[in-house]
Amino acid sequence: MAFPYNSFSRTIRSIMSPRNLSQPSSIHLNQPQTPLFLKSPIHQTPLSSLTQFQTWAKTLIQSKGSNFPTIDNGPDTNHLFRELKWFLEDAGFNRDDDEDIVRLRVGLDELYLLWKQRIVERRPFQYVVGCEHWRDLVLSVEEGVLIPRPETEVIVDIVEELIKKEEEEEDENEVMMKEGLWVDLGTGSGALAIAIARALGKGGRVIATDLSPVAASVAGYNVGRYGLQDKIEIRIGSWFKPLEDVKREVVGLVSNPPYIPSDQILGLQAEVGKHEPRLALDGGENGMVDLLHLCEGAASVMKSGGFFAFETNGEMQSKFLLDFTMNKSKGCFRDVKIVSDHSGIQRFVTGFFV
Amino acid sequence: MGVNLVIFIFFYSCERARIHFSCLKMGSFLLRKSCLRSSVLIQNPRTSFLLFSHLPEFHSNLDSTVVARGAYNWFLNVSGFSSKPQVMKTPVGFNIRCFSSQAIMEHKTCDGLTIENIVSYQWPILDESEGDWKSHAAAISQSIQLIKKRLQWKQLVVRLQMLSLELSKPDLWDDPVHAGKISREHGSLMGKMKEVNGFERELLEHIDMLKLAREENDAELESETMKALLSMRRSAKEKELKALLAGEQDSCSCFIEVQGGAGGTESMDWASMIMNMYKMWAQGRGYGVTVVDEVRGEIAGIKRATIKVEGENAFGYAKAEVGVHRLVRISPFDSGKRRHTSFAAVAVTPILSDASSRCQINESDLSIERFRSGGPGGQHANTTDSAVRIVHIPTGLTATCQNQRSQHQNKALAMSVLQSRLDQLEIARQAQINAQHTHSLTEISWGNQIRTYVLHPYRMVKDLRTNYEVPDPNSVLDGDLDGFILSYLSALMDKDEILYEFGFYDRKR
Ligand SMILES: C[S@@+](CC[C@H](N)C(=O)[O-])C[C@H]1O[C@@H](n2cnc3c(N)ncnc32)[C@H](O)[C@@H]1O
Repeated sequence: MAFPYNSFSRTIRSIMSPRNLSQPSSIHLNQPQTPLFLKSPIHQTPLSSLTQFQTWAKTLIQSKGSNFPTIDNGPDTNHLFRELKWFLEDAGFNRDDDEDIVRLRVGLDELYLLWKQRIVERRPFQYVVGCEHWRDLVLSVEEGVLIPRPETEVIVDIVEELIKKEEEEEDENEVMMKEGLWVDLGTGSGALAIAIARALGKGGRVIATDLSPVAASVAGYNVGRYGLQDKIEIRIGSWFKPLEDVKREVVGLVSNPPYIPSDQILGLQAEVGKHEPRLALDGGENGMVDLLHLCEGAASVMKSGGFFAFETNGEMQSKFLLDFTMNKSKGCFRDVKIVSDHSGIQRFVTGFFV
Repeated sequence: MGVNLVIFIFFYSCERARIHFSCLKMGSFLLRKSCLRSSVLIQNPRTSFLLFSHLPEFHSNLDSTVVARGAYNWFLNVSGFSSKPQVMKTPVGFNIRCFSSQAIMEHKTCDGLTIENIVSYQWPILDESEGDWKSHAAAISQSIQLIKKRLQWKQLVVRLQMLSLELSKPDLWDDPVHAGKISREHGSLMGKMKEVNGFERELLEHIDMLKLAREENDAELESETMKALLSMRRSAKEKELKALLAGEQDSCSCFIEVQGGAGGTESMDWASMIMNMYKMWAQGRGYGVTVVDEVRGEIAGIKRATIKVEGENAFGYAKAEVGVHRLVRISPFDSGKRRHTSFAAVAVTPILSDASSRCQINESDLSIERFRSGGPGGQHANTTDSAVRIVHIPTGLTATCQNQRSQHQNKALAMSVLQSRLDQLEIARQAQINAQHTHSLTEISWGNQIRTYVLHPYRMVKDLRTNYEVPDPNSVLDGDLDGFILSYLSALMDKDEILYEFGFYDRKR
């Protein structure tokens, strides 16, 4: 599949449309990288070299990878073996091929280089192959953009459920959620914005924001890949700043803002701490700086009856937010509750604006 | 009346024989013969049935209509008839109305031969190449009887009558789900019956034709007919096989699940050998294979694994593999090189294709868990592990999936595994019999051994249910399983009494 350049540039252009006065005037748009599985398979390689590579890669896993779990809760060798299998799948190696020559999407040298980066430098697998499988989506990711987490998939389940319930009830607001304006603040790769846009109806729209231009360009690329450039608009800027023109119009707000307490950043698993952008992880003291800012500011953009869902670091942050919304800003929120992720961690806070 | 009948016969034979270049010739024979014997024909119920039963096809099949029209003009020319035949006006519904007589009606040749008496004459069945017509006819008739037995013919007829009665009720479609089920089952049984009846008729017609050819000394027609008989004899074998897979779920795709028995690495290695065997068997049959769940052993092999096998009749075949498989060999994991016996259990679940017959799963009855290595998760962790386990709380059934690349996909696949397990439970419940094939892995008793694979001190694979035996374990472990499967299925189906012991063959009568 070729890079859908047209749709991509269209999406990004919308950032600079005259509506967005809050945009910095010159944005350096970096060209997003093409994920490995979308590169063309032009590198003819003898099967025997590939088998050799496989043996080498396995040995590397065994010699270097066995203590990752104990060092910093990193991947175990079973996971690494599975990653190797996927790596070869993405690189175009088809096991069932009984021909002697296989066609790869990268040269053999690069294949070695990439796998060395994975094991020796602990470069995240998703950056190595340039994509993350998330829900039913395959999202392009690269350095500078947070790799979407499986936990976050649940937010989409919650939103889908909400839309379904609304349709079943068919009250006078009718399909406000399905046909309204949603925002995804700190969109990163665009994961939440894209999944939600696909759940919305014809009239539904999403504005996805991020402070990071790299994230904005990668999100734009992903939006283009799913043909959603007419539904999702990407804006660059800090939290609510790019939303001046949609005050009180937003029916749904989702965000997975940085929430790791600053003092924990150093101790993170190597894949995260050494490779993922700090801007996407560091939530300041207690990790609550951005979450609180979002809770306080949200009322200004939300339509009455609008829905919100935030991802948090777990029980402590979730309880704090619940308390905050129910007491400190009394009267603004209703039906606020904590939802657990699939590991049973109290991961999300959801509710409605009065 | 007599004339019309003759025209029927003529059209009919043209249609049947439209690929034969001697079509017109055969028609002329039949015509001449029929004219001579028209009075006989009119009284012969088989012939009159044969005439009408094909009319709907006759109308709908453009090809045969064209042939028939041409032949009809030709007929008018030679015979000098000019009156329009009433053939075309025969009500199309006729076929349906008389279907029960179709089943009960005994098919006969002009001189009264039936399948039953062909079999009872016990004509010697010679090799295909040297066979005379009697030999072919005897082989084909035997096949037809076997097919009918496998299809449980008498019960099929009764069930079909019940279904058409139900279909004719005016309030049937008040419950569209039920109606859909009924009409689908009716369609499927009807299809089977028509196929067998058609085959039977074809045989008897060829016999008639052959006799005719001999009386008329037409060598060309005779050799054509012999060829047709031979090709029938070959396709009869295929039909026998097909009849083995006539169960309601047989055509479905399925999950195959393998679990190692006690005995650590040795039996985990055995489990992975067995799983490999199924993967290769399935691929060899052209089925799609997806690994759903795989828990590796610490040193080698798998603790358990589930694959999804997609394709026509996957369940029908794979269900023959349910049970415990035993391996005897010198263990490569034993430094003392001693002989070990290991076990692996196999379970097979059909993936029902008919959505209306699937169990409704209540979201609130599910607990969805993600495996994790501990820690705070979320932004803290980068992992490519998104394994999901779903527990169906009311039944305690679980399904696990970790081989997909996103949690969402793992969840979707685990859901489909769970759905199949619940469906299977429901099938068993409905059959109210603890059917062998509905055992889940945990229920399979380790005593239920179905097959032994010996690699040492001698080499052999033997099925304990059928005594089917192969001296080369390698070929079997490479997926060459069809011999075992077919011999088991035939043994199972050809024993009438046994059928009722199995929920899967119960057609809810
Ligand atoms: C944890 S990531 C979430 C990314 C994505 N939504 C996801 O769930 O995968 C947080 C995102 O917020 C962005 N971000 C950080 N500070 C921001 C700010 N002040 N305004 C807007 N976005 C910000 C980061 O660039 C990053 O993309």
